Amino acid sequence: MDFANVASQLNAGTILPEGIVVLTLLGVLIVDLILGRNSSRWIGYLAIAGLLASIVALYFEWDNANPLFFAGAFNGDNLSIVFRGIVALSAAVTILMSIRYVEQSGTALAEFIAILLTATLGGMFLSGASELVMIFVSLETLSISSYLLTGYTKRDPRSNEAALKYLLIGAASTAVFLYGVSLLYGLSGGQTELNAIANGIASANLSQSLGIVIALVFAIAGVGFKISAAPFHQWTPDVYEGAPTPVIAFLSVGSKAAGFALAIRLLTTVFPLVAEEWKFVFTALAVLSMVLGNVVALAQTSMKRMLAYSSIAQAGFVMIGLIADTQAGYASMIFYLLVYLFMNLCGFTCVILFSLRTGTDQIAEYSGLYQKDPLLTLGLSISLLSLGGIPPLAGFFGKIYLFWAGWQAGLYWLVLLGLITSVVSIYYYIRVVKMMVVKEPQEMSDAVKNYPEISWNLPGFRPLQVGLITTLIATSIAGILSNPLFTLANNSVTDIPTLQAKTVDSTQVSAISTEQTDRP
Amino acid sequence: MLSVLIWLPIFAAAIIALLPGNISANRVRLGALFASGTVLLWNLFLLLKFDINNPGMQLQEYLPWNETLGLSYQLGVDGLSILLLILNGLLTWIAIYSSSQQTERPRLFYSLVLLVSGGVAGAFLAENLLLFFLFYELELIPFYLLISIWGGQRRAYAGIKFLIYTAVSGALILASFLGIVWVTGSSSFNYDALSTQTLSATLQIILLVGIILGFGIKIPLVPLHTWLPDAYVEASAPIAILLGGVLAKLGTYGILRFGMALFPDAWSTLAPSLAIWGAVSAMYGAVTAIAQKDIKRMVAYSSIGHMGYILLAAAASTPLALVGAVAQMISHGIILAILFHLVGVVEAKVGTRELDVLNGLMNPIRGLPLTSALLVLGGMASAGIPGMTGFISEFIVFQGSFSVFPLPTLLCVVATGLTAVYFVILLNRTCFGKLDNNLAYYPRVLWHEKMPALVLAALILFLGVQPTWLVRWAEPTTTAMVATIPPIEKAVTQQVALK
Repeated sequence: MDFANVASQLNAGTILPEGIVVLTLLGVLIVDLILGRNSSRWIGYLAIAGLLASIVALYFEWDNANPLFFAGAFNGDNLSIVFRGIVALSAAVTILMSIRYVEQSGTALAEFIAILLTATLGGMFLSGASELVMIFVSLETLSISSYLLTGYTKRDPRSNEAALKYLLIGAASTAVFLYGVSLLYGLSGGQTELNAIANGIASANLSQSLGIVIALVFAIAGVGFKISAAPFHQWTPDVYEGAPTPVIAFLSVGSKAAGFALAIRLLTTVFPLVAEEWKFVFTALAVLSMVLGNVVALAQTSMKRMLAYSSIAQAGFVMIGLIADTQAGYASMIFYLLVYLFMNLCGFTCVILFSLRTGTDQIAEYSGLYQKDPLLTLGLSISLLSLGGIPPLAGFFGKIYLFWAGWQAGLYWLVLLGLITSVVSIYYYIRVVKMMVVKEPQEMSDAVKNYPEISWNLPGFRPLQVGLITTLIATSIAGILSNPLFTLANNSVTDIPTLQAKTVDSTQVSAISTEQTDRP
Repeated sequence: MLSVLIWLPIFAAAIIALLPGNISANRVRLGALFASGTVLLWNLFLLLKFDINNPGMQLQEYLPWNETLGLSYQLGVDGLSILLLILNGLLTWIAIYSSSQQTERPRLFYSLVLLVSGGVAGAFLAENLLLFFLFYELELIPFYLLISIWGGQRRAYAGIKFLIYTAVSGALILASFLGIVWVTGSSSFNYDALSTQTLSATLQIILLVGIILGFGIKIPLVPLHTWLPDAYVEASAPIAILLGGVLAKLGTYGILRFGMALFPDAWSTLAPSLAIWGAVSAMYGAVTAIAQKDIKRMVAYSSIGHMGYILLAAAASTPLALVGAVAQMISHGIILAILFHLVGVVEAKVGTRELDVLNGLMNPIRGLPLTSALLVLGGMASAGIPGMTGFISEFIVFQGSFSVFPLPTLLCVVATGLTAVYFVILLNRTCFGKLDNNLAYYPRVLWHEKMPALVLAALILFLGVQPTWLVRWAEPTTTAMVATIPPIEKAVTQQVALK
């Protein structure tokens, strides 16, 4: 094999965005090594610039004719580009949030950013990984960085406990996932590339064998952990409560997006023959997640725990699109994850701002905030109402599209359950809005009574303000002006061969309706 | 043209919300009054442009919005909605006018009221099911805040109850809309592109029941009504006017537009049960109102009763009954507005709403004579006394429904009688009798406080004497709607008649 052939198989241009992230990461580390703590004034901006450059590079990768990189280990198709963009964007906003937060906790910013960029790298590679070892390596890159980030504020016992718990559950689920992966390797007769595994399984006529089902369930356990689907959700509330808030902002968006990317790629490529089975399993997960996430969130008193359960519930909503298993279903997932990025990061930015100024996360302490900090009240209200699906915010359109796609695919009961649980969710989101907006001045909490003077000039507050306003505007208008995002989401799935055959045929639909007409 | 009705109030709301904080409440109120007055004038201008003889949609506007979802910005007005739009404009103006000049947090209050007004106009105008739903859900949060910030003692409970009931109603409606569009195989939610003719009867009935339950919460019909007494009673007077006058109409309008017009076959199957439901609702509202000790609660239950007639008329679906239904929506809106306004005045001046404490307000010098006179007029209008608009619409409803559903119609007539009973109780306990000499030092009712009631009273009397102005707008549209309903009910009529 001559060099030119190898180079063409490598197709290294595909991973230019990740290359930029790696360079940024190294740059951050080296600058910190040379300059020490002094670098923390602008090192965050360096990282953000790197991430934005990586997103620009992703833009030029769009519609890449030859997306396979490194002999099929990495797939740079449009689907992966969208997910890599989501991961990179969520990391960029997370850095905006974390500059002040990490400084205030008395820890080093550069190491934090370096680990966060490593996690981003893992998430971006996971979005496009199409080979078992590659999947495992990028999954573990993401996971280990997440453990480190969770326990980053190491003087806080809750952060320590969260990290240990997260590590234990994460390592166990990784082991389960690895076992499933090794089964796949064996069942397919020694293939590691996803398409080859699918062919191997199909040609060996193993489509309904017990081994495939076991491998499927083990793989789902690994994925379910990442997207925090009930019953693999138990780490979420504890980690969200203990970990630094910017970290959970990333975990709730970037890590979750990477998990969904893995789910789509793995399930549609490797397991199309057992589609009924994985749809059944994911239906169960979605039902459990929606019910448990939304009902338990009702009883939370801490904002971060409430957002943890709400993120479990949101994962349940997104799973409707996955179960629909149509192009519209996948597009609606991607669209929802995009708007979820804006609204969740907006919500977390507000939570960070509030806890930076008052030092508390209790929902009861938010009461009467409208008088002292109108912008924060507006931001948190808009983001929570958008999470609840109130028009004309972005979340409303996201949910409508998910439900619409689910209904088209005939998931009537799941969509109805989604509707009912959204009604439940409105209650706990509005509870916070009620605390902030409705409460009288005399009902103001102690934290709000002693609220400091609002100043954006303190170091690290300006990026928070920029992040808050950007995500707030995006959450408010991304619904009304949703056409570009819809087009993006649809284009990202139309050309993917593994999702091709899943279009619902319109003739088939009319056949169903005539059939129903004929019924007496 | 039509977009102005939606966007002018919403832009005004945005401007008011962004005003600097040191502007006095009264000046914010005047600004909101100006904005809603402009909207009202624009409404009247549209009425001039409206072609009465055209039964279809007029003044249509279309903009593509989101092809993937089948959502387009498509507006239109017809005989069913034109008067409701004017009602919305009028009552918004009156609600803002009758709000206190010292409202706390005025910028939020007036911008929410204007936002609601724009949203309701959007819902009445929308010709796309998803667009309708968007505007329908838009009412949710503003009304929640309006109830729970500026309400009475138990406003937190009432606000949450309203929120949850309305959210459930929205979920039911959305599920039915998704169902309609998907099972008909349509690719968009456009109203005129939908046809349910090809569906099986069972499917049609399921979807129709979903729609009726969803809008029935909003109207409200009897077992689904329990949010109403709390929300109406705890809301401040201007908000109660909007809640009862405008928001309840969204429910009846939804049932007519999306239930009856989209499912004519299923409608005629369900019509007998709906007629009975309407009659039961009317009876229940009247009987429960008799037992109340709080005047606002009485008026709230009277609202349940009056909305029952609309369901009866819609079920009968003769041309006359449907005209009556539209007329009843308008009459009920005006009458409820005057009653809630006057109750608000009485509460503000006397300081109580208890029937056992109020007495002798008719006293010309120390009582509130003009207010009580108007209250008598409003009560009579509500009870269906000839010469006022309530009588006209109820009479048309009964005349139109009797040939189809004699028994439910008779029940509703009895309910009108009971309405008269509880309004006589109300007027007797509040307006007549003697003033308590220890308590009766009431503040004066200023002229501008009486103004809305005087305007509404004039409207009630005018439409009662000259009812053509009330019914002529809707007639072609309702006749066209009725023409699509198959006359299956006749068989049922005979059975009932034989009994």
